[in-house]
Amino acid sequence: MIRRMRMLFAIACVIALLVTGCASDDSGSDTGSSTSGEAYRIGAVLSLSGTYAGLGAPERNAIELEVARINDEGGVHGRPIEVLFEDDGTDEAKAQAAVTSLLEKEDVIAIIGATGTGQSMAVRADVERASIPQVSMAGGSVITDDFNDWVFQTPWSNRVVVPFTLDYLKEQGVESIALISDSGGYGKDGRQVTLDFVDEYGIEIVADETFNRGDADMTAQLTKIKSAEPDVVFMWSAGSEAATILKNWIDLWGAGPLRFKSGGNANQSAAGAPLIIGAPGNARVELAEGAGDAAEGFEFAAGKILLLEAYGDCVGERGVASDFIDRYTAEYGEGPDIFAGHAYDAINIVVEAMRRLPEDFTSSDLRDEIENTADLVGVGGTFTYAADDHNGLSEEDIVMYRISDGVWTLVEGD
Amino acid sequence: MGGSELLQFVISGLKNGSIYALVSLGFTIVYASTGVINFAQGEFYMLGGMFSVWVFATFGLPLPLAALLGILLTAAVGVVFELLAIRPRKDGDQLALIIITVGGSLLLSSLARHFFGPDELALPAFTAGPSVRLFGAAIERQTLWIWGLTLVAVVLLNWVYNKTKLGRAMRACAIDRDAARLVGIDTRMVVTVSFALAAALGGLAGLSVAPLTQTAFDVGARVGVKGFAAAILGGLGNPIAAVAGGLMLGLIESMSIAYLSSTYKDAVSLGVLLLVLFVRPQGLFTRSRKEKV
Repeated sequence: MIRRMRMLFAIACVIALLVTGCASDDSGSDTGSSTSGEAYRIGAVLSLSGTYAGLGAPERNAIELEVARINDEGGVHGRPIEVLFEDDGTDEAKAQAAVTSLLEKEDVIAIIGATGTGQSMAVRADVERASIPQVSMAGGSVITDDFNDWVFQTPWSNRVVVPFTLDYLKEQGVESIALISDSGGYGKDGRQVTLDFVDEYGIEIVADETFNRGDADMTAQLTKIKSAEPDVVFMWSAGSEAATILKNWIDLWGAGPLRFKSGGNANQSAAGAPLIIGAPGNARVELAEGAGDAAEGFEFAAGKILLLEAYGDCVGERGVASDFIDRYTAEYGEGPDIFAGHAYDAINIVVEAMRRLPEDFTSSDLRDEIENTADLVGVGGTFTYAADDHNGLSEEDIVMYRISDGVWTLVEGD
Repeated sequence: MGGSELLQFVISGLKNGSIYALVSLGFTIVYASTGVINFAQGEFYMLGGMFSVWVFATFGLPLPLAALLGILLTAAVGVVFELLAIRPRKDGDQLALIIITVGGSLLLSSLARHFFGPDELALPAFTAGPSVRLFGAAIERQTLWIWGLTLVAVVLLNWVYNKTKLGRAMRACAIDRDAARLVGIDTRMVVTVSFALAAALGGLAGLSVAPLTQTAFDVGARVGVKGFAAAILGGLGNPIAAVAGGLMLGLIESMSIAYLSSTYKDAVSLGVLLLVLFVRPQGLFTRSRKEKV
């Protein structure tokens, strides 16, 4: 009996361990060489393993690329900058441990991170206690909505993305939508913000379904959505489940591609499945690769970095982005995605603020100066922070994309 | 709710269910020969998909061959895992072995991330084309493949268990390992074979799901938990019960989406699991073995 109890206890522990996820730690550092003097130390907490490993890796690439460039150009005030990387394993508790170690042991002047919304939120108490500014690369609107003096954000928050998307849908004559969202941080946040905004646009929500990460099949949820007859399905997922949803949806209808059901663009007929519209979290090539033909016609709002032409006549932004894309591609053999762009913006916002300050600034000065960031042209858009706005981007910084013949294309006319 | 929608929910449930069934078969085979829950079972599922994608994309082999190689490579990993991690622990202490499988699970997923990268990988569908319609409900072609392969695996496994010498040795081990050794059965060999079989079945599940969901280094743990739940639900140690448990778990999930809310689907299925553990701890579909004194 005791043996059996012991076994059950062990099994319970194991399940808890497996479900919350476990991953290896690896941390490294990057030191400049062409400058002298003591380095400015910045901490970066990224998800290099776990669910968001596919986001953390390009972020690390972008930061390393920028640190090397900045140090080659003489650093800041003649001193090099050094970024200390910590892996949070896409886990809140590990993110907190990583930040504590960076703050206590490494004496960093600022924290860049985290990759995910949950991890970014988990560390803020520690950052605030240490009075160190934090620049997050996660898109959850809660990061800047639940306002904190010390916390800034580089991606377009869902409070920017949702009105932009609903505006677009309204223009296309959409009256009802169905929601399908990831039960995790990003999906939960997107769903909530959508619910907050729909009334303002007079759009009705006819179905509201969720799924868990790792689910292999969403047909059951989509069957419910289909019977609710929405004009458009609004999907919130930053993971590979997005591709599964697209495939299940097309299979359920037995026809593709995705189209606006009613109204919509004049050149589209009524045949095909009702449109699924996504969010910046879907701006990964793995989506189009994984969903194949089922992704035809899929639309999502995201920053302009995916296609240089999206920058239009904005010469400044286009220049910054194309320079970054060229250097990134030359170094890593593949183009940067939006997450690399968020990291580029995060490190540059911190470094530019440091440059504007005299050499011996404090972390508190740095926070104030980051808040003073104005008209800073980045990859994700033009940043202007204010005492009550730590997101700094607007609806002008995002555009609508459509997947057509397996590649991203710009949706014209908005 | 219309009939075609109900049918659609049943189809969706049976599809998830047969994936759970294949994973839970792996749990049950290893449990039968060692008395241990192998928590690395989910990683075999992950490896099946990853190996197939890797072979398919790197060497450009035809899909059926890539799938076969995926299964064989996963089975090989299962054997190596048993030889290096399970066999050296000679006293067979169950608690120690369970912890070893947990460590193995973390090791395998970390290695997979190292070799195959952090991004999700895609495998093309076995047969391309639109879904098949049945009374207004849609069945993806890949789902038919999953059902077919599950059926083949169960029939084959049943044949091995009931008609071959190896199968009889495995069943003897499941009943009493010491007695089996006394009558001359090579029990160590049986354990190795059961790991190979469990890994092959996990790999088969992983690669047949990969065209639907893509695959990545971290898919193993979650599927492992579901497969484990299915094995407990049906009853550990009996292949038919494992399959029944898997199908039932899938159906419970899809029915709770249909009649309750998708938010509660895992809560409902785990609630049913707990209920079963309280009322029938030996599982729904197995008879409790009487201890003869």
